[in-house]
Amino acid sequence: MQTEVEKSLNEGAARLVARASDSRSLTRELLLPRITAAVEKYLLKDDPNTPHAEISKFIDEMQADDLCLIIACERGDEKAWTDLVERFTATVRSAARSASSNEDAAEDLAQSIWAELYGLRTRKDGMPASKLAYYSGRGSLAGWLRAVVAQLAVDTFRKQSRLVQTEEDTDLERLARVAEGQPLVARIPTPEESISNRFAKTGMQQALHQAVQELPAEDRLLVKLYYFDNLRLREAGAVLGVHEATASRRLTRIQTELRTRVTKILVDERGWTQAETERSFAEIAQHLDTDLESILSKEGV
Amino acid sequence: MRQEKNNEMDLLLRRLGRRDDATVSNAAGVHLDADELSAYAENALPAAARARYTSHLAECTRCRELVVQLSASGGMVSAAETATVSKPSLWRTLLASLFAPMVWRYAAPALGLIVVAAIGFVVLRRDQEPTHVTQVTNNEQRSPTSIAADTASPAVDSPTKATPSPEAVAGLQKAPAQTGSAPAPNAAPVVSSSTEASKDLAAAPKQQPASANEAAPKPSATPEESPRTAETEVSKKEVQELPAVAPASERAWRDAQREDRKTDKDVARPGSRRAEPTDKVSSQGAGSVANVQRDGFLFAGPTRSVAGRRFQKRGAIWIDSAYDASRDTTTVRRGSEQYRALIADEPAIKTIADELDGEIIVVWKSRAYRIR
Repeated sequence: MQTEVEKSLNEGAARLVARASDSRSLTRELLLPRITAAVEKYLLKDDPNTPHAEISKFIDEMQADDLCLIIACERGDEKAWTDLVERFTATVRSAARSASSNEDAAEDLAQSIWAELYGLRTRKDGMPASKLAYYSGRGSLAGWLRAVVAQLAVDTFRKQSRLVQTEEDTDLERLARVAEGQPLVARIPTPEESISNRFAKTGMQQALHQAVQELPAEDRLLVKLYYFDNLRLREAGAVLGVHEATASRRLTRIQTELRTRVTKILVDERGWTQAETERSFAEIAQHLDTDLESILSKEGV
Repeated sequence: MRQEKNNEMDLLLRRLGRRDDATVSNAAGVHLDADELSAYAENALPAAARARYTSHLAECTRCRELVVQLSASGGMVSAAETATVSKPSLWRTLLASLFAPMVWRYAAPALGLIVVAAIGFVVLRRDQEPTHVTQVTNNEQRSPTSIAADTASPAVDSPTKATPSPEAVAGLQKAPAQTGSAPAPNAAPVVSSSTEASKDLAAAPKQQPASANEAAPKPSATPEESPRTAETEVSKKEVQELPAVAPASERAWRDAQREDRKTDKDVARPGSRRAEPTDKVSSQGAGSVANVQRDGFLFAGPTRSVAGRRFQKRGAIWIDSAYDASRDTTTVRRGSEQYRALIADEPAIKTIADELDGEIIVVWKSRAYRIR
């Protein structure tokens, strides 16, 4: 007896094969496992009782041609491989260039990607362990390839960083051994550090940190993108899928909400009075403002 | 007040970002895979799944960096954005693409070159025009005898001009040769300039009848009016090539013309009222072509030569090439007493009046007559 979900998946797979401009001789049965995996990952995981209409909509929005191409490649279709390489060599190279410091590194990275895609390693069942198996067909194939390149670049960079870090640590340890027994040189904190320390001491920092953590995920992400990652509003908006103006309005609202929340934390949890909170806000902000100005003038901005 | 408060929060958040930036850990569990990252960056995820990944991204610096990178490079068009921001119209897009900095990077120098070329062309053309005027003025200032001689002068194509002086032929042959060797890039301005010249000449009858003076005289061709017209048409076409002649070849042409005049004085007798066919264009080879070209450059409408005078039809009037608008004109009606008196004194005018139908303006002995 076919369940409602299975029925939706079968029908959706049939429609996907039908609407692909080049189905590469793939059948509904060949596509069904990949479609099922995508539906489970992005829909059923969050709501096992996802309605039939929503599943159908999800499948109908999948990238039919890209998915057929990838599955055909996995099945060893030579023409599909040729098409994949022809169509996406430029994408992979471009992504590798933007993730690498020089042309040689970019070339190495691009070659690594193609090796990963082709699957030089083999799985337990004897089939090549290709990264292609992880493409769901939900986003574009070009976007997925860029993500694969970016991930590999980050992993490679981190691996190299760890190597450098280890060498540096060794050097530091040696230096520490040489300087053993000697008193540490007392370092005078910079004005910026002293202000920061005051900020930390007042409890304001902890309260603000707590308030940020309590924000809804979407708002918290915007705060992180804008204040922590120093993105422009346009860039932050792009990540969230909203226009720059929307991101700006949202940020203003978040600031107001955070202020209210911080005040509440300070009053309710730390026993501050309302007046003390207001004064503290103004005082710290003034110090930080002066501090920022001095930093900016030093940097020649 | 609210803005100030927000400024305070802005500063506090910036400071928090600085402090926490170094201490943020990836305590958010498993990182997003490539499919999740790209689907998130492309805004292609169902709401629930997206919310789940948003929570992770808010905590995980590594994944956030990757999503930011993918959002920037993927050119993601968010659903919200397409809904709120109206799509620019086609012509706006076209204009935007036309005035894009990348386009102007190349278009601006090209436009500059075109402007310089256009100015150069106009200046050169202005330099050429006085030469013409001078030439025509010289023609006018010559005695009727010399004018009569001139009427035959460019007639290399006429039977009487079958044996031009060797110098003249050499000079004439130079012109087309140099025309042919003119550099190709000159072709475009040349064509436009000559076209403009033709237009000017064509428009002349309406604006300035005196410009008929620009027409150099030609031997008469009474019996062959239609071939003459055809020749004029040929001249019109060939005129497009003429201005390509370099200044040196222009000089050669003028020399040749002078030589022609000298030679023709021996051939064409003033007042002989000789009617000679002028439609044989190609019989003289390159020199003839040069003549046709220069004639084409000077004439625009149908012309005829009668009694040693060259007439050009402007509208319904045959106008003597020697006629100048500043001249006083005596109007004489055919068959009138005045007309009979005039032709009695000047029989050549009768010949002209008989040959040319309709209204005629003829210059005779420094006086202009309008015969109706």
